[in-house]
Parts: sequence; structure tokens; C-alpha cells
Amino acid sequence: MYSPYRWWDRHRLQLSLAVISLIVAWSVRQTQGAGLLEVYRLITLPFQGNPTQQEQLVNARTWELEQRLAALESQNQALQALLKQPVVTQGKGTVAPVIGRSADHWWQQMTLGRGHLDAIREGAIVVAPGGLVGRVVSASDHTSRVLLISDPTSRIGVTTSRSRRMGILRGQAGDRAVIEFYEKDPDVRPGDAVSTSSLSSLFPPGLLVGRVESMQLSKSAAPQALVKLSAPVSDINWVTVYLDAKTSKSMVSINP
Amino acid sequence: MLKPLSQWSPLTLNMLNWVVIVGSVALCALTLPLRLPGMELNGMGPNWLLIWVVAWSLKRTAFQGALAGIVLGLIQDGMTAPYPSHAVGLACVGILTARLQKQRYIEEDFISVALIVFGMVVVAESVTAVQFSLFKGTDSTSIPLSEIWVYHQQTALSSAILSSLWAPVVYYPLNRWWERLQWIEQSS
Repeated sequence: MYSPYRWWDRHRLQLSLAVISLIVAWSVRQTQGAGLLEVYRLITLPFQGNPTQQEQLVNARTWELEQRLAALESQNQALQALLKQPVVTQGKGTVAPVIGRSADHWWQQMTLGRGHLDAIREGAIVVAPGGLVGRVVSASDHTSRVLLISDPTSRIGVTTSRSRRMGILRGQAGDRAVIEFYEKDPDVRPGDAVSTSSLSSLFPPGLLVGRVESMQLSKSAAPQALVKLSAPVSDINWVTVYLDAKTSKSMVSINP
Repeated sequence: MLKPLSQWSPLTLNMLNWVVIVGSVALCALTLPLRLPGMELNGMGPNWLLIWVVAWSLKRTAFQGALAGIVLGLIQDGMTAPYPSHAVGLACVGILTARLQKQRYIEEDFISVALIVFGMVVVAESVTAVQFSLFKGTDSTSIPLSEIWVYHQQTALSSAILSSLWAPVVYYPLNRWWERLQWIEQSS
């Protein structure tokens, strides 16, 4: 005779294990894999590498250039203040190692080895040699996840540096992206540099993004330009994270 | 000296089996963000969790396959973005693999496992692409339909090649372990 008790006795273990697996997997999903990423960072810690001698030379040269740039920027700001223009200041940067790439190729992400405890918050801007890389979308204690600008879901307001034409940049996987311009006939040529515009709500203005490779004026809705992103995302091992002044959350963390 | 496995108590064996299962899933999940030389094609890595689901489902029922697919899909969601979910694609993979009736039609070896993984990656990629095209978000984050399917064509093939080449690395040890367990259960 069929008895529900007997069935329960036979399948009790399997059922509870199945339920436990589901609960654990659900919690991983809800916490955005924070625990997993922390474990991953611990395991890969010995392999994260140190800058070699050549890199140190390059770093010294970069430092020198950065100092000159900083001097010029502050001079520029002083001049702008004289002209009564709004002043944009850049926050302090945290250097972070890249410890992982995206876990699925439909998303263009990377994982950094610094997190909450290093004052990295959601919305922080990630910059590498060459220009803008992306934006922090989630952070655990020691890791943080970056949505790259090459992700198809990321949108950035950009402007071309020569002719100051505005457009919206949309990622296209790899190191390519597409700009859609607002105007019908933008004055843009291959080779023009592209940087973030002052209208962007997520990124500070003036960060280099890439270079125009070709124009597609015949597109129906709006003219498009194909852009090669300037930061070599697949090769970089270290990035700088800026807590941007535009994200209110990060400001709270800088000045408690 | 350790006792041979056949002399262990069924409870210990069961526990050990769960340790192996959870450990191998964790290992697969932790390998996802890693890109070692030879593990990369066009910036993509193998889909380790999908390989695990195939290895698990080959000799199990469709229900078990679906459950494993959902659990591992949720984990992968946690490691990328929760939307659209990987759980749908991996559950399809689990069900289809379990329904293949491999013993009847296909010889059991690396090549057939690699072939199954190849097909299943294409299935999972297509499910993801369909999800992207069906549930488009608001205007600011949606991807144009044409781009989704162009991207699907570009990546499905290389992703499938890479995953099927790496499939035996996951399949072989797990299969050996489960075969051994089965043998012990039957002989006792």
C-alpha cells in the first residue's frame, strides 16, 4: 500500500539536501557572490604578482608626468576660479589589483582585490593607464566588481575632444564601443579622441575613453561612430579607483 | 594507512560524496573569473559550471539535472549579474543531458562528453540570448535586438569549442568517483 510516511522516510534526506542546495545557491545570488569572491581572492593572493623593475621605471616616469599634470591642473583650476567657472576636483585614488575577469562572456566585468575596507564603494570610477575602464557595481570587504564600459548595458555621455560633439557611448564587448550622436551631421573624423562629457551623470568629465575608428553616417536613426577603447582592458593588472564627487555615497565615506 | 573505500560505512561514504560534490562545484565557481594561458579564446573562458552540470546529469534523472542546473545557475548569477538568470539555461542543459539516454545511443568516452558539452553550450547561449531579447529592460539599458544575435553568433562557437575541450578535466574525476561509489553500493 502506498503510504506518504514511507515515501517521506525514503526521500527525506534527498529532499532536505535539495532544499538546502537551493537555499545556499539563492543566498549566493542575493549576496552577489560576496563570500565566493572573498575565497577566490584568498586563493589567488600568492599569484597577484609585484611590479617588476621595468615597470618601476615606467612608474617613476608616470609619477613625474602625473606631478606635472597635477601642477597644470591646479593652475588651470586657479585660472578657472578667476573666471568664476564651476570647479571640478578629482578625488583621491586607490590602486587596486585586477584579480579576476567576467564569469560569463555576456557580461563585461572584472574583479578587483580591494573592497569596502579600502573605502571602495558602489559607483566609484575605475581608471587604468590609457583611460576610463568602468564603474564599481558591487563591493565586498576585500573585493569589488567593476562593470566595464565595454559592457553592452553600460551607457556613457561622451564628447569628442576636437569638435566637442556630444553623443552616447554604448559598449560592444572586447575593446570596441559605438557612439550615437545627437546631431544629424556631426563633425567627427576617424582618429578623434573621445572623452566623458560634462553631462554624464555617472562619470566625471574629461576622462579619456577611446579613439574614433570609423564613421557610419548611413545608419537610420542617428549617425554612429565605431570607437576603439584606449585602456587595454584584457592586459591590465592594476587599476586606480576614484571615489567620484558625483556619487554621494562615496563622499560620505571619504569625509566621515 | 587508510582503509579501502569499500570498508567505509555508508554514512561516511555519503558524507564524503557530498564533500566531493560541494567541493567540485566551489572549485568550478572559483575558476570562472580566472584566465590562465590556454584557457582563453577571444577573452572568454570555459563555462565550468555548465561542464559540471553535464557531468552530473549524464547518469541521473531529468529532475536531478534540472535541480543541479538551477542551483549552479543561481551561483553563476551571483558571480555576474542576477538578470537575465543563468538558472534557466543550465536547467535546460540538465534536463536535456539527462534525457539523452547516453548509454543507449552513444559510446561513453571523452569525445562523446565533449560533443555533448559542445551542443549544450550552444543551447545555453541561445537560451540566454532569447532571454535578453524577450525581457528587454528600460531604454537606457536595453541592447538592440540585432546586436544580441550578432554577438550570440560570434561567441557561441568559440565558447562551445573551449568548454568542450576542457570538459574532460571536470568529467573524468567526477565520473570515476561516482562509478566507484556505485560499484561499492552494488557489491555491499
